[in-house]
Amino acid sequence: MGGAVDYIQFVFMPQVFNGLTIGVAVILMALGLTIIFGLLDVINMAHGEFYALGAYLGVTLASHGAGYWLSLIAVPLVLLPLGYGVDRLLIQRVFHQKDRHMLTLLLTFGLAIVMEDVFKLAYGPNTIRPETPVSGGTELFGNFFPSYRLFLMAFGTITIASVWLAVHRTRFGSMVRAAAFDKNMASSLGVPVRKIYSATFAFGVALAGLSGVLLSPIYSVFPTMGKDFILMAFAVVIVGGLGNIKGVVFAGLLLTQVQAISSLYISPVWADPLVFAIMVVVLMVRPQGILGGKLGHV
Amino acid sequence: MRNRSWKMFCLTFAVLGCFAASGNASEPIKIGVVTPLTGTYTGIGQQVKWGLELAAKEINASGGILGRKVELLYEDEEANPLVATQKAEKLFQVSKVDFLTGTVNSASTLAVGQLAERNNKLIATTVSFSDAITGEKCSPNVFRVNAKAGMQSAALAEWLVKEKPGAQVFYLGPDYEMGRSTVAAFKSAAEKKGAKSSGEVFAPLGNKDYSPFFGQIRAAHASVLYTSVAGNDTVRLFTQMAEYGLMKNLTVVGASGTVTSQNIGAIGKVADGYVTGVGYSQEIESSENRKFVAAFRGMHKADPDLYGADSYGLVYFYKAAVEKAKSTDTEKVRKAMRGIKWMTPQGMKEMRAGDHQAIQDMYAVKVVDGKFKIIGKVRGDVAIGPDTCTRF
Repeated sequence: MGGAVDYIQFVFMPQVFNGLTIGVAVILMALGLTIIFGLLDVINMAHGEFYALGAYLGVTLASHGAGYWLSLIAVPLVLLPLGYGVDRLLIQRVFHQKDRHMLTLLLTFGLAIVMEDVFKLAYGPNTIRPETPVSGGTELFGNFFPSYRLFLMAFGTITIASVWLAVHRTRFGSMVRAAAFDKNMASSLGVPVRKIYSATFAFGVALAGLSGVLLSPIYSVFPTMGKDFILMAFAVVIVGGLGNIKGVVFAGLLLTQVQAISSLYISPVWADPLVFAIMVVVLMVRPQGILGGKLGHV
Repeated sequence: MRNRSWKMFCLTFAVLGCFAASGNASEPIKIGVVTPLTGTYTGIGQQVKWGLELAAKEINASGGILGRKVELLYEDEEANPLVATQKAEKLFQVSKVDFLTGTVNSASTLAVGQLAERNNKLIATTVSFSDAITGEKCSPNVFRVNAKAGMQSAALAEWLVKEKPGAQVFYLGPDYEMGRSTVAAFKSAAEKKGAKSSGEVFAPLGNKDYSPFFGQIRAAHASVLYTSVAGNDTVRLFTQMAEYGLMKNLTVVGASGTVTSQNIGAIGKVADGYVTGVGYSQEIESSENRKFVAAFRGMHKADPDLYGADSYGLVYFYKAAVEKAKSTDTEKVRKAMRGIKWMTPQGMKEMRAGDHQAIQDMYAVKVVDGKFKIIGKVRGDVAIGPDTCTRF
């Protein structure tokens, strides 16, 4: 009996906690992806590289003496105009062609390759590790919870809630949803659809950059880091329903808990195939995702 | 007419003979180097190149080998066995190299070894760790001048049981061939000496978050963690362990490739206290090593690591064998290499005849303030273990 209590207390419970922190990280990544897809119908293959760009900008700011908290605010602000420009100069050029799904996918994929190589040239191939801004931790029920992970969970939850509020409760959000629902009607009612498109892309990119700064003290910074969370984020977006914020949160928590808890009982290498098997099943049984419905349609 | 053509024949023969003779004396000895010049292992290939170049320069300045200069011909291995065999084939067939070295990836060494057998040439690795190269997959055409994984484990296990008697060891490796074999090798070496194993886990290569395994490590009440993760994975493992306060009560030991000059900067202070077993350290106190380190820094403006030192020692190994054989003929050189003793930065090494594995002293080293300090030494004949090669 003591063994079972020990097991729940020292192995199972921390595992759930760890799954939650990873879940928040994955949801932050998937949010930007799902918003861009929900509105623009663009699968942004370079999303992971914007996450890396955020992390590298944080490193650059830190090397110029800026504190971590400053870069947490500054990096998304820098990425906003950058994302706006990328949409204006690259994506909008092919957006109105007939096979835009394929074209935008290839375009962003190419952009991802270019960005990864630029990181290698600018910062070198070796790993960089930013210092953890808050060290130490809290002892709870005999378990150790690092302060930074607690902060990550709190800050992540606030960010996710703010994004939901921004999309569903603000004027900008209602314009976004209107444009996603029927862009011709929205346009004729005076919504500046093109600007809304670019602004939404910028918003998604800024979210990726914010995740980059937020996660870099735990996962470190290196040129191929963009590939880290992107597969998991795609799985979350698909399982949760493309373009659905609540779906992303639900699927993000579900899949990361499956991953965390299953790795206690099966070889951790098999946790990833399990997650992707769930994705395949969802695609077969409920292709619109568990919570279904696109942005603007629910 | 008859007489004249006979004279012509003799003359031609004499001239040709003359060319052949002079060619033998002044034509350089060609050593092919198939090593990663691009990609993930560029840093290792760089050290291999630097070590070989320094030795070649020294040897050429003092008259070469049997009066012939040493020439190094490079090809990029890309740490890929398929590429390595193509490049090696080219060096054997087109460039007609006398000897070949440089392979880093253990699979490349094994593949190029088979190719060397078909071409009747000799090769040596100065980097590859896999025990199989001079064990179950040994080849009469392949030699290894660096320490194999088993010797590194032996040195580390020796230190561990002396410093931490009755240690409870937890094992964490990357889930692929290298990770599983290093963990198995160290586990058997440590258990033989009395250490207890309290659990093991294999994480995927390129794992993002190790915190899901920390519960198991805590629950196992381990006092020592052995790990063989490498590169970026080490940075994450160490950072996250520090984050969770695990580094405080745990001695972390591991493979020699876990903490290297490439990732120690990113790991930072957390790397302090890490112990591993290696075949070379800049700190080795001998006049040969001091001379080597000074010359290496002078020529390349960088510090040598174990790969640089072993590649440097390799050229002297080949020189000693060719001078003993008085020829570059494969059969004669192989015979000369077996059992030969030669001087290296690590002191005298001996090439074991039975499996072509060099015997050398091994060291336990510890990271102190971001630098490796020698904290223990195991004699070569103790570290090497039994000869398991049955092919020759």
